[in-house]
Amino acid sequence: MNAVDFILSGMLAAATPFLLAALGELVVERAGVLNLGVEGLMALGAVIAFIVVYHGGGHMLAFAAAGLASVLLSLVFALVALGFRANQVATGLAIGILGQGLSALFGKTYESLTVKGLPKLALPGLSDLPVIGGLFVQDVVVWLSLLLTLMIWAGFAFSKTGLVLRAVGENPKAAHAIGYPVIAVRVAAIAFGGLLAGFAGAYASVVYTPLWADGMIAGRGWIAIALVVFGTWLTGRIFLGACLFGAVSLMSLAAQATGVELPSQFLSSLPYLVTIIVLGIISANKRLLKLNGVASLGEPFER
Amino acid sequence: MITAINRRTLLKGVALSGLASAIGTRITLAADKPLGIALVVPSPIGDVGWGHALAAGLDPIKAAYGDKVKITILENIPEGPDADRIMNKAVADGNKFLIAGSFGYQNGALQIARRNKDVTVLHASGFQVAPNFSPFAAKYFQGTYLMGMAAAALTKSGKLGSVSAFAIPELITSINAFALGAQAVKPDIEVSVVWVNSWFDPAKEQEAAKALMAQGCDVIFSNAQDTPSVIAACEEAGVYAFNLNSSMKSYAPKTYLGCVATDWSPFFKASVDAHVAGSFKGANAFLGMSDKVVEVVDWNPAIPADTMTKIKDTEAKIAAGSVSPFTGPITKADGSEGVAAGKTLTDPEIVAMNWHVKGVTTPLPK
Repeated sequence: MNAVDFILSGMLAAATPFLLAALGELVVERAGVLNLGVEGLMALGAVIAFIVVYHGGGHMLAFAAAGLASVLLSLVFALVALGFRANQVATGLAIGILGQGLSALFGKTYESLTVKGLPKLALPGLSDLPVIGGLFVQDVVVWLSLLLTLMIWAGFAFSKTGLVLRAVGENPKAAHAIGYPVIAVRVAAIAFGGLLAGFAGAYASVVYTPLWADGMIAGRGWIAIALVVFGTWLTGRIFLGACLFGAVSLMSLAAQATGVELPSQFLSSLPYLVTIIVLGIISANKRLLKLNGVASLGEPFER
Repeated sequence: MITAINRRTLLKGVALSGLASAIGTRITLAADKPLGIALVVPSPIGDVGWGHALAAGLDPIKAAYGDKVKITILENIPEGPDADRIMNKAVADGNKFLIAGSFGYQNGALQIARRNKDVTVLHASGFQVAPNFSPFAAKYFQGTYLMGMAAAALTKSGKLGSVSAFAIPELITSINAFALGAQAVKPDIEVSVVWVNSWFDPAKEQEAAKALMAQGCDVIFSNAQDTPSVIAACEEAGVYAFNLNSSMKSYAPKTYLGCVATDWSPFFKASVDAHVAGSFKGANAFLGMSDKVVEVVDWNPAIPADTMTKIKDTEAKIAAGSVSPFTGPITKADGSEGVAAGKTLTDPEIVAMNWHVKGVTTPLPK
């Protein structure tokens, strides 16, 4: 196994926590809501999933429980931000801090414990290819995440639900006037975002790095939010950004292990730099950016 | 009574004030009587790791002084302005003995010591000294040298790896001694290092371990990681691994090479005794096997018997002070002379080490 195999085979798994959380945040922001609590939602999902697996509940139940817990917490956000029309930035930050605090509380007795991850599944045929074969040996969650990415892309592009969601985000007053339940749509979007953030956290704690340590999300929720913005609210670009970030972070580690003559601090910052530069170049067109941006993002809706 | 508080529970307390009292953790305003001892550590305290070793070092004080001391542990405090605030608060709350458990707390902790002459401060891994301020560090390199000898006997590829937190002298010396110990057994051994530039990111640590394995490293040194992330990944891959501070054998029953353990209790106890007696004098405390602070435990039975005999022999000589891992000739990674033949580095020279020995293939971050 050389460095290229290492990067190719690990890239998708490294990207999955970012991808899941960013897709969730994409749906939330498309509906016109800015939820900055992703980090906390992920942390809560991570600890709940870990506790379930640790007590023998299995990974399926763990993801379900993690998703449910994060949905519940995101509904608290919905209640405050939509119900009481509080400032969404402040509410999101508070929910994020609350989620991290709750994860520390629930995880106190599980600190530094480990569990078993998930086996890798190979796509027959493709996994035997030279060089890129490793790309097709992934755990089931990675495969499902790819499927989900496709579904969300198709949902925005072709389905009525996708159009309604975008209408609510673009011009909630108009959407309301033609009879769409703006608040209900936004609550549903927030819950969906919570669900995916919970899954992302669960993936981090019971599949990718199967252990619990307080603070293990380590800023990944914030990167997911940044990916949504730098991906200009487009599913494909967010997917690309997540993969790029995963690949470059692995590359920077592999480069050190092989003894490349570059300072490690520079290599550590590479994933951020490369992702920002690449997505920045792709979305340099100001007109397109305006077209993709969500017009009512962060604004409370009043009838 | 040991109370554990971490930053997040405090923050949550702000968000949900009801919960804070439910957890029952808060900094108690110390009465005049018991000596308040506060330990501040950067990561959460689990069953293993750096924070655990520091906290465990306070147990004998608790046993000896009973109700005359009140120990507060503040865990999960990131280095930076927030840490300064929290340490100041701990002192304002009446703690007279502060243990600042991370290199990055240095400036804040030193200011506290200068402003509060009646407070004694112990600071991990630093270099500043004041009358009431002692830096302390372990001579991990004495243990990692032995680990290098064991690793050389077990490696098939001749490539060893280290997942390391930050390029500070304490960690650099550990890696150098590891390489020197290995080369003492097999001269052409190479060591690759991945600096993750973070004290705490389990996912990144595990990725780094896998990156090293992908390069063929078959013994991995988890250098200053508080979680079993690296050790667990190595067990899964069937690669030998070891770590510092406290044993993680339960995470890798098959491939755990051993642990360079630290027992801080002799040093903490002596410092508290001196503080109580009013005789504390700040000094650089660089503690090793002869101080009973560093010891290697949980050797893997797969290490060949003749190697083990050599290791035990070297261990006894290091503890007695007759052998040092840093005795010349030692060549630097860039080919120049590190230590001349027959010379041995002094403690201040070791503490200031900023170069890799020959055989460490990763360039050192500047």
